[in-house]
Amino acid sequence: MEKMSRVTTALGSSAISGRTMFCHLDAPANAISVCRDATQVVVAGRNIFKIYGLEEEQFVEKLNLRVGRKPSLNFSCADVMWHQMEENLLATAATNGAVVTWNLGKPSRNKQDQLFTEHKRTVNKVCFHPTEVYMLLSGSQDGYMKCFDLRKKESVSTFSGQSESVRDVQFSMKDYFTFAASFENGNVQLWDIRRPDRYERMFTAHTGPVFCCDWHPDDRGWLATGGRDKMVKVWDMTTNRAKEIYCVQTIASVARVKWRPERKWHLATCSMMVDHNIYVWDIRRPFIPFATFEEHKDVTTGIVWRHQHDPYFLLSGSKDSTLYQHMFKDASRPVDRANPEGLCFGLFGDLAFAAKESLISGDANRKPYPGGDRRYPIFFFKKPDLTEQFAHVSSALSVFESSLESKRMDWFVKTARLYLLSGKSFAELCDHNAKVAKELNRPQVSTTWTMLRIMFSDPANLSTPGPNHIGKLGTLPLMNSFSMKEMGMGTESRLDRSKGESRQDNIHLELGNSLINNICPTAENEETEGSEGQAEYMFGDAELDDDDLYSMEHDNQAAEEQEYTLPQEAFPLRHEIMDNPLAPEHLQQDKADSPQASGNEAEVMCLTPIESFSLISISQPLFSPHLPAPFFCPVVREMLSHYAEQGDVQMAVSVLIVLGDRIRKEIDDLTQEHWYMSYIDLLQRFELWNVSNEVIKLSTCSAITCLNQTSTTLHVNCSNCKRPMSNRGWICDRCHQCASVCAVCHHVVKGLFVWCQGCSHGGHLEHVKNWLKSSSHCPAGCGHLCEYT
Amino acid sequence: MFVARSIAADHKDLIHDVSYDFHGRRMATCSSDQSVKVWDKSESGEWHCTASWKTHSGSVWRVTWAHPEFGQVLASCSFDRTAAVWEEIVGESNDKQRGQSHWIKRTTLVDSRTSVTDVKFAPKHMGLMLTTCSADGVVRVYEAPDVMNLSQWSLQHEISCKLSCSCISWNPSSSRAHPPMIAVGSDDSNVMYGGKVQIYEYNDNTRKYAKAETLMTVTDAVHDIAFSPNLGRSFHVLAIATKDVRIFKLVPLRKESSSTGPTKFEVQIVAQFDNHNSQVWRVSWNITSTLLASSGDDGCVRLWKANYMDNWKCTGILKGDGSPVNGSSGQPGAMNTMVGSAVQTSQNALNGSAAGRYFFPPLDAPRAGSRYGHLLPPPSLIEHSDAQFSPHSQPLNTLPEHD
Repeated sequence: MEKMSRVTTALGSSAISGRTMFCHLDAPANAISVCRDATQVVVAGRNIFKIYGLEEEQFVEKLNLRVGRKPSLNFSCADVMWHQMEENLLATAATNGAVVTWNLGKPSRNKQDQLFTEHKRTVNKVCFHPTEVYMLLSGSQDGYMKCFDLRKKESVSTFSGQSESVRDVQFSMKDYFTFAASFENGNVQLWDIRRPDRYERMFTAHTGPVFCCDWHPDDRGWLATGGRDKMVKVWDMTTNRAKEIYCVQTIASVARVKWRPERKWHLATCSMMVDHNIYVWDIRRPFIPFATFEEHKDVTTGIVWRHQHDPYFLLSGSKDSTLYQHMFKDASRPVDRANPEGLCFGLFGDLAFAAKESLISGDANRKPYPGGDRRYPIFFFKKPDLTEQFAHVSSALSVFESSLESKRMDWFVKTARLYLLSGKSFAELCDHNAKVAKELNRPQVSTTWTMLRIMFSDPANLSTPGPNHIGKLGTLPLMNSFSMKEMGMGTESRLDRSKGESRQDNIHLELGNSLINNICPTAENEETEGSEGQAEYMFGDAELDDDDLYSMEHDNQAAEEQEYTLPQEAFPLRHEIMDNPLAPEHLQQDKADSPQASGNEAEVMCLTPIESFSLISISQPLFSPHLPAPFFCPVVREMLSHYAEQGDVQMAVSVLIVLGDRIRKEIDDLTQEHWYMSYIDLLQRFELWNVSNEVIKLSTCSAITCLNQTSTTLHVNCSNCKRPMSNRGWICDRCHQCASVCAVCHHVVKGLFVWCQGCSHGGHLEHVKNWLKSSSHCPAGCGHLCEYT
Repeated sequence: MFVARSIAADHKDLIHDVSYDFHGRRMATCSSDQSVKVWDKSESGEWHCTASWKTHSGSVWRVTWAHPEFGQVLASCSFDRTAAVWEEIVGESNDKQRGQSHWIKRTTLVDSRTSVTDVKFAPKHMGLMLTTCSADGVVRVYEAPDVMNLSQWSLQHEISCKLSCSCISWNPSSSRAHPPMIAVGSDDSNVMYGGKVQIYEYNDNTRKYAKAETLMTVTDAVHDIAFSPNLGRSFHVLAIATKDVRIFKLVPLRKESSSTGPTKFEVQIVAQFDNHNSQVWRVSWNITSTLLASSGDDGCVRLWKANYMDNWKCTGILKGDGSPVNGSSGQPGAMNTMVGSAVQTSQNALNGSAAGRYFFPPLDAPRAGSRYGHLLPPPSLIEHSDAQFSPHSQPLNTLPEHD
């Protein structure tokens, strides 16, 4: 106790100061040690044995202990220790097995004092007793530990580690007679120096060699051990069985471990392989170093705290032939660079967020006052904070799920599912898609579709209007009656319909009317010219779209811009009204069609063209002379780019597909391909495989269509002769029959084939389905009772 | 209107990264406790930990999913100077019954001499490629030549960035017009070292990555960087988390066909927000790149959104523990911003002003206010945002996002 206080006063009177500094050694260092008053450091290595003075700004070489013309192997040091009480006394462990003591008080150049050559192999470690001046302990590769009384020529006792190499020996701080020894087989032994016959206690501390151990300086009976298994373990030796109380996992084998003075939880480590850094750990937070010193360019071989009561100076020697003094304030703090938060947007707009709990709950370190916290003297206001904050951390993980549909990606999925991209006439597709968009509350998109239809309903495609129209009237008598009524009564029916279809208020309706009236004169004129055009005059739906337009106007997007891009605004308006009447029929029909539409466009295809032509036939006389579709192309191209830039590549691709050749030439292939790729990628993210496949099929970019042809091989066997079909056609070249014929329509099935597992007959999925609705017998007539489930 | 679902992560130290998989149904977290956990979403929307294993012998900084085409594959990187590739094994095991899946290490990438700070898979169209960056300023690009063999990775490129790297981001654009591009952020805190974000582009002729751009205006430590998903844009958008949130736009300048050098970009800063009032740690884009989320030392997540004019606004603030951020919680700055943006948005709505690109006929002057009240928000906003902007909307004592 008396000694302790003396040391403290020494520290108090000559407060250590300095800075991070280093000096070059002539050779790699193996070990370093400081003298008691922290003013000098001894560096020992295979080819070096020097004492440096620690000055304010630099290291100053004080003494070279390696003297003589041909230095003996005794100078080749594996370890060195400066006595902590006797400032002239040093001991080294030589690689040839010698234990040498040095007396700096000697007048001669050669300071060598005693030489013990009792060990047979390298001595790994020497250790002075902390309170006993003449007691020295050594541990060697030969498996023995020896205790020397420096007043005698020979060792006073020998402790056998049972032929296991000793890597470290350390006298206990707490117990006068106890020392710990660590071994290459992973064991740690506790010995009483009075009883050389047998260890007091032994336990396995690590898998693989235990390279080092260190007693906690504060009399706690804590022993830290470090091993090749990259771990530092702290053992409580006060209990009957050594208990592991902390374990720090480092990234490389642990060569040295040293408790940090005055910091109960801190220890410093360095590695003998791979890793050149020195880490200071808080053992309560074993995963991330509290501080790191990264100066060395090669393996750090020796670390020592400069003064046993000063936690701010660390000295280190290295294989890179440098000696460093590290200031703790210059250490890098990995935790400061460690990201305390994780954030990720999910596919559906949900947001995963993990954050350090102190960040989200307390305002603890949120807004540090500029002058520091006044509760503490400015001197150390930061310290307790830092250490405590460091030790206790955890993160909270939460997922924010958007409850608003608008923020989720539902609109995307629904739109993708419901859009029709092919299988109907252009106008119908547009109408359908406009309706889909509208239902999903996306008026802008909806309007765009409507506009597109107006712009591009291609008059040049006119086919014979008469029969088509009759066909339509025939198939849709209901529609027709509506139309007739409309023709006759105009406004009233319009009113009814608009009420029925959309809950528009009167103001709007009237506005719509006035708008329509403005245009009506011309429209009516033309109507009389057109043969059957009047039947299509249904304003109700026009208003539907008007509604969109008006609401758009309140949108913060600009309506005026429109004037630049579309100076002939009269045309679109007029056409819109002309065209819209068709919409309701499609809407009705679409409802019926859409569920299967994507699955079997083929069939839809054969039903629809008739109607589409009728539409075209009507519009043609109205604007074909004035408005070539290509006129709109630049606008549409710009629009598509706009949608793509706004993140709605769905719109861009859908329009691209629906417009097809009308726009394709206008947009360069790379851009198209990019859109397709992006959209397909999105669809696949949402696991919309069918839609994605449809898009791939419908795309015109070779790079896209070939997506479906890669890494998929179909091996087909002929259904007649049961042999593999070698050629690509549908006729087996062995039996010369068509393979896989549908039992219902007797055509080759090229898509989905369904067959009965009982009688093995089958055919087109749809055909068989329909057949089995009406009959329970096999369509092939084999008499089997088939069942479709 | 977000609902916070708190998950007991049970990591023993800080969580440094969370990452959703391609389909958004799985999530991986990594922590300083050296472990990675995988979470699967159940039918009911609950997240269950289906795997937790020790991945490294140091803090795990980042975890990332590969495209599912390559299997259920994760990559992690760590303070222990390695990056590792993990694959989920589907098979018969007792683990399955406990609802745990088994992940095995396919490879360890040990080229770095310092902490590996980020790891990212390249966009799928480039094949199975992985990039790491490390504290010593080296970006490494690895490739698995055989996608079926995840244990064979060859180091294709080493790019020296000179500055300690903290984050990387691949340009996700799948367009052939855009050569592969990586943005690298540095967390070097010395502002004297100039631009902390460097952009490297692959040159087909030299078959090397060459620096295309340095964002000289970003001089503070960069913690995260993210290219926005490019769904058919001709330009690139880059979000940067530094002492504030920044959004840059990189517009490739047309280059002469003869030139073989890297693409030149016109770099525009489109937004810069210091609302976090502190270091910003993370930025993340939503899938359509319409929303940007950022999180900072204030413990809040902020959502940013652009209007049609490319004006970025805060559309929401989320508190980490799910509690609402309201006027009383001491966030006056945030409040002001929100009020400001609300007012401004509504002005935009009223003015309907000049610069927008619109594709429908102009109409008469705005009609009576009578319809206005129940009109829908502008379509450009309604699809993704719940920002209320009506001038008649409630006094902004609570942010609408946190009901």
